[in-house]
Amino acid sequence: MTHPAAHPATPTSRGGAAPVARVGNVTKSFGLGDGRVDALRDVSLDLRAGQFTAVMGPSGSGKSTLMHITAGLDQATSGRVMLGDTDITRLDDTQLTLLRRRRIGFVFQAFNLVPTLDVSANIELPFRLDGRRASVEERAWIDWLVGTLGLDSRLTHRPHQLSGGQQQRVAIARALATRPDLIFADEPTGNLDSKAGRDVLEVLRTASRDHGQSIAMVTHDPVAASYADRVVFLADGRIVHEVGASTPAEISQVMLELERTA
Amino acid sequence: MSATTVDRAGARGSAPTGARAAARAAARSALRDQLLEHRPSVLVAALGTTFGVALLSVSHVFEQLIASDPAVAASGTVSTMLDLVASVFVGLALYVGAIVTANTFTTVVAGRTPTIALMRLLGSSARDQRRVVAREGLVVGVAGALIGVVVGTLLVVVAVGVLVARGTLPDLDYSYVSVGGLVPAVAVVATTVAAAWIGSRRVLQVTPLQATGVVQEEPVGSRPRRVLRTVLAALLVVGGGVLLLAGVLMGLANEAGVLVAFVGGVLSFSGVVVGAHTVMPAGLAAVGRLFGSGQVARLAAENAVRQPERSTRATIGIVIGVTLVTTMSVALETLRSFIGSIEQDPAYAAELDTMFTTTLLVMAGLVGFSAVIAAVGMVNDMSLSVLQRRRELGLLRAVGSTVGQIRGMILLEAAQMAVTAIVVGVVLGTVYGWAGAQSLLGAANQGMLIAPTLPVPLLVGLALTAAVLAGVAALVPARRATSVTPVEALAAR
Repeated sequence: MTHPAAHPATPTSRGGAAPVARVGNVTKSFGLGDGRVDALRDVSLDLRAGQFTAVMGPSGSGKSTLMHITAGLDQATSGRVMLGDTDITRLDDTQLTLLRRRRIGFVFQAFNLVPTLDVSANIELPFRLDGRRASVEERAWIDWLVGTLGLDSRLTHRPHQLSGGQQQRVAIARALATRPDLIFADEPTGNLDSKAGRDVLEVLRTASRDHGQSIAMVTHDPVAASYADRVVFLADGRIVHEVGASTPAEISQVMLELERTA
Repeated sequence: MSATTVDRAGARGSAPTGARAAARAAARSALRDQLLEHRPSVLVAALGTTFGVALLSVSHVFEQLIASDPAVAASGTVSTMLDLVASVFVGLALYVGAIVTANTFTTVVAGRTPTIALMRLLGSSARDQRRVVAREGLVVGVAGALIGVVVGTLLVVVAVGVLVARGTLPDLDYSYVSVGGLVPAVAVVATTVAAAWIGSRRVLQVTPLQATGVVQEEPVGSRPRRVLRTVLAALLVVGGGVLLLAGVLMGLANEAGVLVAFVGGVLSFSGVVVGAHTVMPAGLAAVGRLFGSGQVARLAAENAVRQPERSTRATIGIVIGVTLVTTMSVALETLRSFIGSIEQDPAYAAELDTMFTTTLLVMAGLVGFSAVIAAVGMVNDMSLSVLQRRRELGLLRAVGSTVGQIRGMILLEAAQMAVTAIVVGVVLGTVYGWAGAQSLLGAANQGMLIAPTLPVPLLVGLALTAAVLAGVAALVPARRATSVTPVEALAAR
């Protein structure tokens, strides 16, 4: 997977020192008084540039909330989130929207694509929302992504004409197209059979390894997490554990341990 | 399966009173939600009844006026005529109302698909489910009819009271309610139930599986083939068009041609309404292209035709209203300028002018009421469609659409529908109006063609209407669409 116009993987980007995003003492509460629920309690986390980080935890552990806040989709109750040099907790709605459009990519579990647009228009959506077409160089990158993801023959298809795995690959192509600082993937394989799921994870891992793409993936699937360079465990709104690249068995073991101590 | 059994046993057996109260409260809140969904349909039914009851009540008052005047001998004929004219306009309003209600019910059923699927999963038959929806149609119809009878009668009572007080009308002991005057109320209930029944067709397509599966993206652009309807529409349009042309040609020699042209016009316009599902989507797409190729315009253009049948039903009522108003305006205006060009006596010409203007205003008001009902339908369609697109809107916000872009998209969508409906109506109305005037006047004009005259106030009025309609139709949905955060919207099912 090499491409002339691809991100040059800078020497420091692989497990490098500079974090692409820093979550500092973030708390998120819903409701007030007795009904108050703390989804996140004083969470701090650095996402390193060029790394593929998995955030794991049982349902209700706060992993999706953490992702939403880090991606500027939701507001933290307190604490700070830095994306590069930008403190995103200080941005207004329009600034956050532009930040998501230009510097962040998203892959959701389902409903990733605009049903009225064909594959090609879905991939180019972030550019078009910016009121522009992809530049020649960006065009070449998109063409290469489309070819690599096996979507050449699907460009004029609408989302409902694609399989679940194809839809996720289109979402990944859209997320990678703008070469964002960071891609957020929320259970990207949750709706797929295991073969399609492995394909999607392979694509994400390659994007990170070969192109220095920083990725944060939320999942509760140990197999999915085993594709990551680093796995962070969340329980009850707190980060409770962290491991480097691990096998599904090792990750499951950690999860079981956490269940036992919970 | 076992959970269901337990549930049922619990419900049937000795459920504690607390649980029963909770169930009642849940049922009440479900009922409230349903009432909210049906509010526009109640409004449409109420508007239709108000219009019908008021019109027939006015006609009833006229009859009493005429009966009180011994100078008029043929009062029976006059009142029958009045009732006949009134029923044509009421019938039109009810027809448009039925289209709107059927569309609303289709949309409501689409939004309720998960609930219906769950009920099917728990063992309810599709027919039972459909009957539930139809019963709601009955409730909506009766509620609307009751409101309409009260409001319509009150309006006439107040109006007559004011006119009597001013001395315009003689102070008679008027009765306002006649048995015949209640016919619109009954008709509204009947058409609303029929519309709900037609609109609930989609209930039959909901499978229990849809309750278990993850929400799938709605297939876009898959339209059912309606061969029979299309063929019928084509026959009506072609046959009616031939008659219309024959009427115009006959009219060059004899003004009786207008009768042939009239039949041709009614037939061909019926064809247009029946076959609207082939015409309107193309029109919407064409107008959508005029809005440019920016992303916002492109999304809006695709949205307006994503469900061609639904957009068609949302706009056809406006097309009908605008076509009829334009037909009358163009015919009368052409007639007026023709007479103006040959009439020598300025006093008589001025008198004719006043008569034409009054006739036109009254007719436009009567037909325009149907257009108001149709507009309610369009506004409602926009609101519901935005509600049902929450996830998609959340996705658009997540990948970088600003609030302004979302608002712009919805406004353009509404504008596209309003402009298309009005342009199609003006084009059709100009053709029919001209054909009417031409077939009537051709002979008087020594067998020559007459250019149609488009009244400028009408065009200005329609342009304003389009702007207001688009603005109103976009207002609530746009606020709704932009008030949710991307996270909420993405979590919605």
